[in-house]
Amino acid sequence: MMRAIPSLNGRELTLAGALLAALLIFFAASPYFATADNLATVVRNCVELLLVGLGMTLLLAMGAIDISVGMAMGLAAIVVGRLLAADMNPALVAISGPIVGGLLGLFTATIVVIGRIPAIVGTLGLLGFYRAAIFLSLGGEWLSGLPTRLTTMLSASAGGVPVSVIVILAAYLVVWLAIRRTPYGPHLLAIGNDEERARLSGVAVTRVRFATFVISGLLCGLAATFYVSTYRNVEMTIGSSLALDAIAAVVLGGTSVLGGRCSLIGTVLGVVLLRVLQNGLLLIGVPSLWQTVVTGALLLVILAAEVASGRFSLQSLRWRTY
Amino acid sequence: MSSRLGGRSPTLIILCSLWVLVVGGLAVLRPNSISTGTMTTVLQFATILALVALGQGLVVLCGGAGIDLSVGGAVSLVAVIAMLLTKTGVPGLLLPVVCCLSGLGLGLFNGWLVAKLRILPLIVTLATFYVYSGLALALTGGAAQSGVPAFLIPWGRGDLLGVPLPFLTLAIPAFLAAAIVLGATSWGRWVYAMGFNEESARLVGIPVDRSRLIVYALSGLCAGAASLISLAWLGSGRPNIGQNLELTSLTAVMLGGVSIFGGRGGIGGVFAAVLLLVTLQTFLLQLNVNSIWQVGIVGALLIGVLLVDRLSVTRR
Repeated sequence: MMRAIPSLNGRELTLAGALLAALLIFFAASPYFATADNLATVVRNCVELLLVGLGMTLLLAMGAIDISVGMAMGLAAIVVGRLLAADMNPALVAISGPIVGGLLGLFTATIVVIGRIPAIVGTLGLLGFYRAAIFLSLGGEWLSGLPTRLTTMLSASAGGVPVSVIVILAAYLVVWLAIRRTPYGPHLLAIGNDEERARLSGVAVTRVRFATFVISGLLCGLAATFYVSTYRNVEMTIGSSLALDAIAAVVLGGTSVLGGRCSLIGTVLGVVLLRVLQNGLLLIGVPSLWQTVVTGALLLVILAAEVASGRFSLQSLRWRTY
Repeated sequence: MSSRLGGRSPTLIILCSLWVLVVGGLAVLRPNSISTGTMTTVLQFATILALVALGQGLVVLCGGAGIDLSVGGAVSLVAVIAMLLTKTGVPGLLLPVVCCLSGLGLGLFNGWLVAKLRILPLIVTLATFYVYSGLALALTGGAAQSGVPAFLIPWGRGDLLGVPLPFLTLAIPAFLAAAIVLGATSWGRWVYAMGFNEESARLVGIPVDRSRLIVYALSGLCAGAASLISLAWLGSGRPNIGQNLELTSLTAVMLGGVSIFGGRGGIGGVFAAVLLLVTLQTFLLQLNVNSIWQVGIVGALLIGVLLVDRLSVTRR
């Protein structure tokens, strides 16, 4: 059986090497890169992406996708922010994120899974819908200068470890256990490999797909709680490139966009590598406007490299819906 | 033949009745807004969407999980490329050529990744969407680029008997050409055949990959032409001009009765759906509905259309 921190396979070792190389290069290129301040920023920036990325890993492994994740996080963040501003108990504020995220996940699952619409098209529609909802509920203004109570609660120490670290590790462990120690994992990958065959061999395809969209929603909601606690504001453009970042990090980590293969530790490495690259490029003078260009190009290069190395053979392209 | 033009026959009837409903609603709620002026505005706004939706429609029709999420980014990037090239001294007369060629190039890049490397279209065009729209912003710093040659403006803003010139000279000919190619040439039948059943299309010897490459390139070309119209109409190259076009064009294509699985539907339906969508948007604008709602409503429409489509498939 696999251990909780599994031995790294070739892909993950390559990634770890690339991460090390990136760290060394930026360390040499910018005197500011290795300061405690900057490294803390990088780690902080990884948090939401990691949580959303875990959900995206499950979705891609199943042969699905959700490009509305950034907007779902945004909507949940608005609720969290408003409750925080209304002086609610910080513990309730903290769980309001996952609750809203879970409800949004239910909504997405109903439309995509029950309605049997290709996930990309369904979530594109939701993306537009959610974006309008974000603009309208913010009413053209940022939520800013939110109280520090949530931040204080999440950074409080429980047995020497900050609560936030415990929550993130718990989220990772739960997903890891679900994949490695329950039938959910094999079922998920079976659907990703061949949905029809999975159905014929008795996998409750609809239930597994439904659950995965809800789990992804929950994780987006949890990400929203951390977002609000870290930045203490919610801006209009919240989450606008989160879907791209999450997909790029997950694919970088070795999860197949065609489904059937996933690596959680790869996603963690992918998230850190992506955020280190984005931070380092900024420090060596690449304007932040180039960030989506670089991330998008990186995603294309990885995909092309996977094709070239024969990791996914030429397949006939088709929609996966039910 | 009629099925090539109109898609599934009820589509056009439903779209037309919806359109009458929208116009009727407008006539009741804002009687003085119904005029030829309004019609010209609607057609002016429809021109860009019509061209982009035509490209999107072809991509969806040709199957293989076909979708082009990069259209909006391509429109923005072409506008920026064209204006930057004009600034470096490329003669203004060449602007239409520059727009079409750079659009074609962006489309070819998508097509190469999809047809030759066989990477899923949704992930390819999602990545190129971010690359194209990101480049448009990064190259300009987000600022609109002025310097559109003067000879383009009268064409971009003029109209003939209330019909805007770009609509008359680009959108209508493009749709007619597409209808003829799809309905009356063997290449058009190939597009339907490979969309309907790729395996059998390959078995009967249709060059599926090459045809798919061409279809994605055509979608880029349409985006380039749409970009040219935006330049001539607005008089400047805006790096965010293509915003939300991926959503709106896909909604128009689905609303127009093209099956998301490819191989079924027609260009006529897409044309009608574009007019319906733009009329609806103008209607909302006239009623002072916050323009932010438009993207929300279009998103909801996309989901609604697909749900109805899937439910009716189940019934059959």
